[in-house]
Amino acid sequence: MNHDPSQLPIGQCPTNEHTMHRRLFIKGLAGGALASVTSFAGLFHNPVFAEATKKAQKRCILLWLCGGPSQFETWYPKPGRPTSGPFGTTATKIPGIHFSSLMPQCATIADKLNIVRNMKTTQPEHLQAINLIQRGNPDRAGFTRPTLGSALSQAIGSLDSPIPNFILLDPIQGGNEFEGFKAGDFAGWLGAQHSPVRLGGDYSKLLNAASDAIPQHDAESRETLRHFLTAKFERARNSAVARSENNAFERMKGLSASADLFDLNKLPAKDRERYGPGSFAQHALLSRHLVENGAPFVMVANGMNWDNHVFQHEIHQMLVPELDRVLFNLVTDLEERGMLDNTLVIAMGEFGRTPWINPARGRDHYPNAWSFMMTGCGLKRGVITGETDIDGVDVVGKAYNEQNLFVTIFSALGINPYAEYDLPGLPTFHRVENKAEPIRDLLA
Amino acid sequence: MKLTLAHDHKLPTGALGLAIVPDGSRAFATCMDGTLYSVDLASGEAQPFEGKHDSYASGCVLLPDGRTVITGGYDGKLLWHDVETRKSWRQVQAHQFWNWQLALSPDGTRLATVTGQYAPGGWKYEPAPEREPSVKIFDTASGDLVASYAHTPPVLSCAFTPDSQHIAAANMMGEVRVWDVAPGGDRKPVAQFTSPDFTSWGTTKTHHFCGGIYGLAFSPDGQVLLCCGMGPMGDPMAGNGKMTWQRWNWQKGERIDQIKDGQHGAGLMESVVWHPEATHFVMAGRQAQGNWNAALFSAADGSLVHSVDTKKRITHAQFTADGKSLILSGATGQGARKQNGWEPWGRVQVFKVEA
Repeated sequence: MNHDPSQLPIGQCPTNEHTMHRRLFIKGLAGGALASVTSFAGLFHNPVFAEATKKAQKRCILLWLCGGPSQFETWYPKPGRPTSGPFGTTATKIPGIHFSSLMPQCATIADKLNIVRNMKTTQPEHLQAINLIQRGNPDRAGFTRPTLGSALSQAIGSLDSPIPNFILLDPIQGGNEFEGFKAGDFAGWLGAQHSPVRLGGDYSKLLNAASDAIPQHDAESRETLRHFLTAKFERARNSAVARSENNAFERMKGLSASADLFDLNKLPAKDRERYGPGSFAQHALLSRHLVENGAPFVMVANGMNWDNHVFQHEIHQMLVPELDRVLFNLVTDLEERGMLDNTLVIAMGEFGRTPWINPARGRDHYPNAWSFMMTGCGLKRGVITGETDIDGVDVVGKAYNEQNLFVTIFSALGINPYAEYDLPGLPTFHRVENKAEPIRDLLA
Repeated sequence: MKLTLAHDHKLPTGALGLAIVPDGSRAFATCMDGTLYSVDLASGEAQPFEGKHDSYASGCVLLPDGRTVITGGYDGKLLWHDVETRKSWRQVQAHQFWNWQLALSPDGTRLATVTGQYAPGGWKYEPAPEREPSVKIFDTASGDLVASYAHTPPVLSCAFTPDSQHIAAANMMGEVRVWDVAPGGDRKPVAQFTSPDFTSWGTTKTHHFCGGIYGLAFSPDGQVLLCCGMGPMGDPMAGNGKMTWQRWNWQKGERIDQIKDGQHGAGLMESVVWHPEATHFVMAGRQAQGNWNAALFSAADGSLVHSVDTKKRITHAQFTADGKSLILSGATGQGARKQNGWEPWGRVQVFKVEA
């Protein structure tokens, strides 16, 4: 049954999280407290645990490598094979493990990273794959799942925070299919208050421009009128879009007071130089700054730069060293500041790239066997898990998918990955379906 | 004048570089497995050379003595090979990064090699300055470095003037610099110009630069520099920019003409070469849209005279000395792995040039 979250009364929390917690608590009692805490799933079946998670100030930075980076030119080279491409390998700090020669800095901190090399998903097209990897579950009729950022906004964020719970740093509007995704519904059934505030690049200028352009008394008059008209519009049209935009506007308005937080020019020049001059690198530095200042979730994107159907090696020879530099500095900075234990850092795209080269000197989409990096926030470190065959064509042994990924992310952040939802007008569903297993090698 | 396919030979991996003996009986091809192959152009028999590059072998030249092939690779090395023994006997680390392309001076004494890694230099991913000289000239006999020139990386292509006195090199940003290679001097360019018509900045989804001038060839009188590549695209990953050549008066930095509207498809053009009689030139590459990927153009007015669709990516084109054959190197798509392994995907093709 379809459900339109805009049908809920304005001002009421649409998530029924309170109901959920009560149900889970009762369920936990009925199932036996011992079972709840001795099984992996049971660990999370406690509302006190959920509150503790929020108080622990867990954070997450997602470096969203949209378009799909090549596993061969990053984490899992296949030297000497027909699929290897032109780049060599570099030995890492972990004996026997090599990264692409394009990642020399990450090789020196491999013991602080975790690499999952046996991802196998089902969607070979961007929009569907972005939705899959951003929402952690296949589409299901009747409702829209929140993206990772929205889910974490709800689970570890605070709606009265002056810093948005879900910040998307992205310098441009574009991105083909990613643009289509960005125009869609990030928050799903959670509702507009958990959709992202989009900043970065030219968008950040809006923060200061709005307050400077209009005198204070005029701004207040306009604000009163805007509230009246938009509330009327929302009631009349029952419009989720209008509500989403109004929510975003409210948060942007609140942000004006802390606009400096988003001003790259106020970050130390040495830090800016260390991360590199490109917009992705600068935004990655900004993400560190934002989580330091309390932002629960920051997603850093840069269009769909990684979709190298053409000029694969010519573009990866630029993008991968930038990622290498960014990850090295980000992970090192977080660790040095004592934040890595509470901050989950993920670097991934929506899939990998083909082992074979196409006639346009590119690699195409490949969900069958790909890799990503995830570290921090209580995960083990220095774990290299998963294996593909000699050419990187197929996963050998156990494969992981988007559900395993999301169970692991939620687990790392202390969030119940299997939370069951029975909401009015919606089918019964779970935060992650099918009781999927976590990527256990990563869990401490 | 028209082109007719005479032979289509396979190599294990994509062929990136090509050199031929003057009579067209044999070709030398450098491939993505790092290997130099000698190919009998009548039978297609291919023999690998012993010395290999540690990465893609990007280009090769055959010295006038007919006994020596010099190859360049993505390992930044130059290898000297003996044609008879198929062993390499000299190795020079020319660059820290890829050799993108080689050019042999017509007198056979100088080898130009170009390099450069594209690194972000600014917010919009403007190329950062070079970390090593992007253009180097080596003595083919001694292997000694005789000159280095500065450019903005990545530098993709190079060509000597017919009198061997000047070297031109072009980069991703469409900037062409020409130097006098005579000993001494200040190593500053004697001419330079920039064409904006070969470079993309991805407004749609890829927010960086790509493309550039992939092929250069001086006209037989040395007055005109022919450049090829692919026109700008909003989405460079579509690979569907206009197939483009332009002719420039390089000394004045003035564009003379370019491929005519209605005569081009879309796709990256990687090679331009003049017919020995100087009446025509060929541009070749990969077709994304259209009906050809190799075409003959009139030197007189730049009109397309004849074209073929090889259904492959063409990386290099060369005429035999008599102008009666055109040899092409290139690749198909690698294709998915089969039960028995990987299919051969490198190609060397022979086209007859007929009046």
